[in-house]
Amino acid sequence: MAIYIYSDKKENAAELVSFAKERNKKSVILTLPDQLSEMSALGADLAVSLTGVETIENGLRSLASYLSTQDMELFLVGNTMRGRDVAARIAGYLEVAMSSDVNSITEEDGAFVTERMTYGGRVVAVSRLPLGSAVTIGKGRYPLSQGQSPSEEVPLKSDERLLRRAKTPIVKEAVDLSASKRILSVGMGLAKEEDLGMVREVAAAIGAEVGCSRGVAEEKKWLPLTRFVGISGNVISPDLYLAAGISGQVQHLYGVKDAKIIVGVNNNEKAPIFRSADYGIVGDLYRILPLIREKALARKQ
Amino acid sequence: MPNIAVCYKWVADEADIIVNADLSVNMDRATGKISDYDKNAIEAGVQLKKALLGTLYGVTFSADSGRPSLKDALSRGLDAAVWVHGTLAADADEYVTCRAIAAGLAKLEDVGVIVCGDGSSDNYARQLPSRLGAALDIPVITAVSHFAIEDGKLLVTRKLEDDEEVYLVDLPVVISVLPEACAAPVPGLKSVMAAGKKPVIEVDADAIADRLEAKSKAVSIKGYEMKRKNIRLTGESEEDIVEQLFLALDKEGVF
Repeated sequence: MAIYIYSDKKENAAELVSFAKERNKKSVILTLPDQLSEMSALGADLAVSLTGVETIENGLRSLASYLSTQDMELFLVGNTMRGRDVAARIAGYLEVAMSSDVNSITEEDGAFVTERMTYGGRVVAVSRLPLGSAVTIGKGRYPLSQGQSPSEEVPLKSDERLLRRAKTPIVKEAVDLSASKRILSVGMGLAKEEDLGMVREVAAAIGAEVGCSRGVAEEKKWLPLTRFVGISGNVISPDLYLAAGISGQVQHLYGVKDAKIIVGVNNNEKAPIFRSADYGIVGDLYRILPLIREKALARKQ
Repeated sequence: MPNIAVCYKWVADEADIIVNADLSVNMDRATGKISDYDKNAIEAGVQLKKALLGTLYGVTFSADSGRPSLKDALSRGLDAAVWVHGTLAADADEYVTCRAIAAGLAKLEDVGVIVCGDGSSDNYARQLPSRLGAALDIPVITAVSHFAIEDGKLLVTRKLEDDEEVYLVDLPVVISVLPEACAAPVPGLKSVMAAGKKPVIEVDADAIADRLEAKSKAVSIKGYEMKRKNIRLTGESEEDIVEQLFLALDKEGVF
């Protein structure tokens, strides 16, 4: 039996190989030929190069047929956008169980037990999956494995009903919220877009990047989507997360559950943010934030 | 004129969930709602209908208690709905859900595009579109940020972590749309009034082929407790409160 691994990201794949090695399981990494050289350097017992398709999506039905002939203990996949689709499509073709984006996966009596967050981070759900199931998991849980793997080719039959016309790198803002130690986030308590100027000044004074709630990015479109914090946006772990004018919905808080210190500023004393903050200030962000800026600047002098 | 089917889910509102001190979860008071991102999916269906000119259906699977979802969903621009319901929903995993939705889709003819939201507000497992594509053996494009009909095919932009990809796909196809693909308008009173008169096809979930069993078994659920200090800073003035905040941040070593 073997754990079959797929990820379109090398680092994620390297961790998944470690998962198998730590349990003394045989690991087989699946990759397209253009990533074979990097994916065969992660220490898996075998690297399978899937040939004959332009994209992995063109070959999923065929890949499922191949996997159905293998002694697959687990289909372990990195939880990128592409990875989730690949895992769920294979689970669909093979009609097996799947657990998405798990926090943990353990073995118990010949089955896999997964733990994952549901209801926007409010509830932890534990599920039991039989052997042969699929699981997606994110980065940062296992060490990076390395080492040369032997490789072999498996030709896939291409599904010509879809054609990739173009692939363009996304030009991202220079900001990487996940790398920032301090984040000042604003929510729907911000009255108008022009007030972001004040927010940026406060952020600069305390050495923070500006983040926001989903509503500010998706509904108001005042800040780019790359800056919104929450379960479907940035999931980050800064030292300091200052949430101003953010009510504190569970989906938002999921994005900062691993922050060291959370500070909430909100004029509604019943706002849920206060239940999830280390320090809470009931007050008007338009009065509190400028005072924070003043204080921070005074300290620098 | 190919038809369009939008899959949506009626979920418990997470804001109403009570986590008790022992971390047990009480959902008794949770009201139902259409999963947040499914509202974007319905609007994507409305936009696609303008190009394809077919009928726009909603397809949903729930317990019998999910009936209120129909009027809400139909008020958002659907022409008709297929409601698969029964006790099967109680222990359904993603496999069972996919089979139930597929049974609902089987009631419709000539569906060209099946639209799903990015993920449901409750489980956010993001499996249904991919599983449906496999079950029906048709192409799937997830994470769609733009879409258009071109020469009877679907032209979509897919937004991944580092790249955008453009695909031209034959119909029928399953897509899942990102919320940014379509803002979801709030339905007007006229739409809400009209929704009650729109047709609903009901499917008995418990009569789908042989009785379906979930592939994964739920072992337990418990509340997630974010352990925080919950210190409310108070003082004689706002300046005083901010002073206390800085003292606290100093103590925590984060400033």
